[in-house]
Amino acid sequence: MPEKLKIGVYTCYCSGNISHTVKCEQVAKVMETQPDVVVSRTDMSLCSDAGQSQIEQDIKELGVNRVVIGACAPSLHEQTFRNAVTRAGLNPYLYHHVGLREQDSWVHTSDGDGATCKAMHLMAAGIAKARHLQPLEPIRLEAEKQALVIGAGAAGLRAALDIARQGLRVVLVEKSPFLGGRMAQLESVFPTGEDARSLLHELIEKVVAHPSITVYTQAEVKGVTGYVGNYGVRILQHSRGVREEDSEKMIAACPRLVPDEFNYGMTERKVIYRAYPGCCPRGAAVDWDYYLDHPLRVDGKEIVLKDEPKTIDVSVGAIVAATGFDPYEPRQGEYGYGELQEVITLPQLIRRLALTKDDKTFQWNGRPVRDVALIHCVGSREIEGVDEPHEDGQVNNYCSRVCCTASLHMAVELHEKFPALNIFELYQDIRTYGRGHEDYYCHAMEGGVRFVRYSGEERPQVAAAPTGDTHPVLIKVKDSLTYNEELEIPVDLVVLAVGMKPRQIDDLVNMLKVSRGTDRFLLEVHPKLRPVETAVNGVILAGTAQGPMNIQESLSAASAAAAKVLTLLGRGKVELPPFVAAVDAEKCNGAGACVEACVYEGAIALQTFDENGNEVKRAVVTPANCVGCGACVAVCPNRAIDVQGWTIAQYEAMVDAIGMSIVDLVEAA
Amino acid sequence: MNNLKVDALVIGGGIAGMQAALDLGDQGFQVALVEREASIGGKMITLSKVFPTLDCCSCITTPKMSAVAHHPNITLITYCEVQSIQESGAGYGVAVLQKPRYVDESKCTGCRQCEYECPITVPSSFDRGLGSYRAIRVPFSTAVPQKAVLDMDNCLLCGKCEKACPVEAIDFTQQPQHFSIEATTIILATGFELTQLGAKKEYGAGKLANVIDPLMMERFLAPTGPYGRVLRPGDGMEPTTIAYVQCAGSRDQTQGIEYCSRVCCMYAIKQAMLINGALPLAEVTVYYMDIRTFGKGYEQFYQNAKAMGVEFVRGKVASIREDEKHNPIVKVELTEEGRIVERTHDLVVLSLGMIPTASPSTFNLLPASDGFISLPALNASPSAAQRPGIFVTGAAGGPMDIVDSIVTAGSAASAASSYIREKTGMKVPQQEVAYA
Repeated sequence: MPEKLKIGVYTCYCSGNISHTVKCEQVAKVMETQPDVVVSRTDMSLCSDAGQSQIEQDIKELGVNRVVIGACAPSLHEQTFRNAVTRAGLNPYLYHHVGLREQDSWVHTSDGDGATCKAMHLMAAGIAKARHLQPLEPIRLEAEKQALVIGAGAAGLRAALDIARQGLRVVLVEKSPFLGGRMAQLESVFPTGEDARSLLHELIEKVVAHPSITVYTQAEVKGVTGYVGNYGVRILQHSRGVREEDSEKMIAACPRLVPDEFNYGMTERKVIYRAYPGCCPRGAAVDWDYYLDHPLRVDGKEIVLKDEPKTIDVSVGAIVAATGFDPYEPRQGEYGYGELQEVITLPQLIRRLALTKDDKTFQWNGRPVRDVALIHCVGSREIEGVDEPHEDGQVNNYCSRVCCTASLHMAVELHEKFPALNIFELYQDIRTYGRGHEDYYCHAMEGGVRFVRYSGEERPQVAAAPTGDTHPVLIKVKDSLTYNEELEIPVDLVVLAVGMKPRQIDDLVNMLKVSRGTDRFLLEVHPKLRPVETAVNGVILAGTAQGPMNIQESLSAASAAAAKVLTLLGRGKVELPPFVAAVDAEKCNGAGACVEACVYEGAIALQTFDENGNEVKRAVVTPANCVGCGACVAVCPNRAIDVQGWTIAQYEAMVDAIGMSIVDLVEAA
Repeated sequence: MNNLKVDALVIGGGIAGMQAALDLGDQGFQVALVEREASIGGKMITLSKVFPTLDCCSCITTPKMSAVAHHPNITLITYCEVQSIQESGAGYGVAVLQKPRYVDESKCTGCRQCEYECPITVPSSFDRGLGSYRAIRVPFSTAVPQKAVLDMDNCLLCGKCEKACPVEAIDFTQQPQHFSIEATTIILATGFELTQLGAKKEYGAGKLANVIDPLMMERFLAPTGPYGRVLRPGDGMEPTTIAYVQCAGSRDQTQGIEYCSRVCCMYAIKQAMLINGALPLAEVTVYYMDIRTFGKGYEQFYQNAKAMGVEFVRGKVASIREDEKHNPIVKVELTEEGRIVERTHDLVVLSLGMIPTASPSTFNLLPASDGFISLPALNASPSAAQRPGIFVTGAAGGPMDIVDSIVTAGSAASAASSYIREKTGMKVPQQEVAYA
């Protein structure tokens, strides 16, 4: 005899999020009258310990064996309640979650009665489904105790090291021939003034020395299959082209010069090159993008180098995306960039000052720089309808977080080195928020840096000064610190404090199936509940791939990513939800429509069975590869397939309940 | 309380400490979490909704509290204070003082019968003095643990609670108890306090009836708050013009707090938006020097507030006084117009900053110049304190919002986990190729 259904129904106020619109007490009252319901309660916040305890108590004391909860979105707390139900000894899949907040109260704020009526229908549908719920078990699989980290900048290095230190193996993949990423291009870092590359090299040395980490440079991810715990990743690695011991003579032999991206194109480097002195790995590498099969004359012989890319397949349990950022590249003509030689970006200035470290005077294009202006928020805090959209039709409406402190750090350094220099900071709001950052602002003010506050709706105008002028560039700006006075500032150099934009990683984004936010950075599941995880289980974010961050913040995020990888893989096992296709072998006639409809490799296949001496074909699901999309369910001519936990019978019951009028609902009781 | 031996001790049960404990517990480490108050939840549990998602705060906090309480690897000890931390063996020996609850935790069921019978009403610190609770009470409705605590300073020893208690849990004879925790590593998550409402005499020195702090506004806006609506405390009137004074406890040399507190811009904007919902006719003005909405999605949040009609006025508020009806009058230089004006509001919220709760010296650590725990390797190991094996998360390491606190919790947990494994001599698996 089947067990008698005893349904417990809980309508959550969600601390007012639901109850401000939906009359929760009324909903609970009507639900109490539904068939098989033994208890119907409301709670201010059901996810609290007290709320969860109430559910546990009802399961234990009233014998509740199906639970229906109307609350926030399941993405937020379905798992919370599954845990509570499990603690009380009930199978966690005998519980159904109804989204009364996102699907009802938040979208019908001005129609309380309508929302209450809708809540009753949604809850009644939930109860109808609950009657058909069956116990399910999660799919338990062995997990690879190895992680892939993509990108060997500060965040990727930190994540790799932390994962390895906690006992997992790591494969670290870097696209360029050298480790270190953007941090290597910096000199002194705020707020400590430490040398960027010294800090970076300490980290790199630990990573390279760690026995659990394999590093692949000049390597790219070319394919991703599988799921959390068992990703198959194909890596393509280009040849380095040069043995370390041959580096000097190969560089010397290389005739071709190309713009050096390390110095943002302001200098040139060989096609066979090192990124910078002391870079890691030490040996030079060939930049195959520019290598034109030209023969090199080495030791009296002519040789031609060949890139022989290797394919490396690795199995990993989790993937950390630490793909970093690019500095915003101003458009041709934006603040005169690309048109006036005296307009550069802040990253360019950092490199130029590093190259001319020993100069006693500050020169640009052979002219002494007496007046310099730094313009903030270039490529950041853009306003729709005011600023010109980028190629994808969007504006960068976000704050890039680091540019204010970076600009003021630069101003303070310039002032210390060249005390006679006049420095102007053209800003909207000074955002020196971090620990020690405000000090730069104070020092800049004390050092005589002049601040001009412009409005995002009227950005400064930069143009060549009229011929014969004392300065090559003239900035026109309305300064709200002087009551919107129109200022004309003649300067020798304009420095654009450019923001951050995500790297061009479209292919990778598609392979990983992760989402991006409206700012085009990779998107986390929830900024507070799962701040470094993506919606794809097992794909974790580290550093500026997720959004603008400074070094400290990137390292923190990378360590947090490592903690998440350990939580997922540390035990060597992963659990996947049981909502996958299941075939009823009695009904299946081996027609194979399901196999054709399935788009997930290895999820469903026809297998041959012996049935009373006859060979028959039946569809068989490999649960680990199935995502429960239901494409097979829709095409099966015999209704032989169902997605567990979301069966056709369950849907039909829900639709019937939703189709009833409130009067019917009450009368059905 | 018996002495404990754990892999990691987390000090402070706010959002950062809870998250760090969960991250370590989920990895299989034995964790002790100690909390000074009678319930975990920290500052976050007192908030209304949180930026930038406007999730209700309890939706995020209470499940974490519950998860901590039920976690098989976490030992939760509330109402206790860490007194000292000494190096000991492979880690640290921590002396802890268990404060008396005057309620036997093992018996109390949280039924609240004692609370209903108690004749003494005291201002509720949970509601920042705006509401009241009894001398014996469960700290708040979603408290973890759901155990009563008796406030002896206000108790008459009338014995009504003792009679009302169905499980004989009341124990007036409880004494403070000392116990120790041995831990390989320690995570400090001691959080922050607001700067003083009365710190600045130009802003009324805390004596103006309708000048409040932002956590009071959180309680007005919270669905679990004392009134369930926004009122001004002076006379219970519904305010129609509300002003926020930014940097009231930050970036201010006269207060000795020169740093930016990082969260005030966003909480003021968030509260302004919530007030917009609670009091649709009210006008909200934010007086600011710089709007610092630097986090992910924050700038858009600011722009949304502007679009909703929140008024942003650039100018440092010079002083606040009140008229005969206790309406606060704000004197401010409008820097964009170059004039000084006085504007009367019904209610003023001082956007106070953050100072550390715990003195770093309790942990034998030196404070940085800002008073928070010094983090000597900010750009290398951002969570490491000066002593090996001690890590810092959340606002204990400087002002920080919830989003950043949660990330630093993961970071501190990761650092602690590495430390424990290396300290206990765990073997690491070898890769076939070290460098390819």
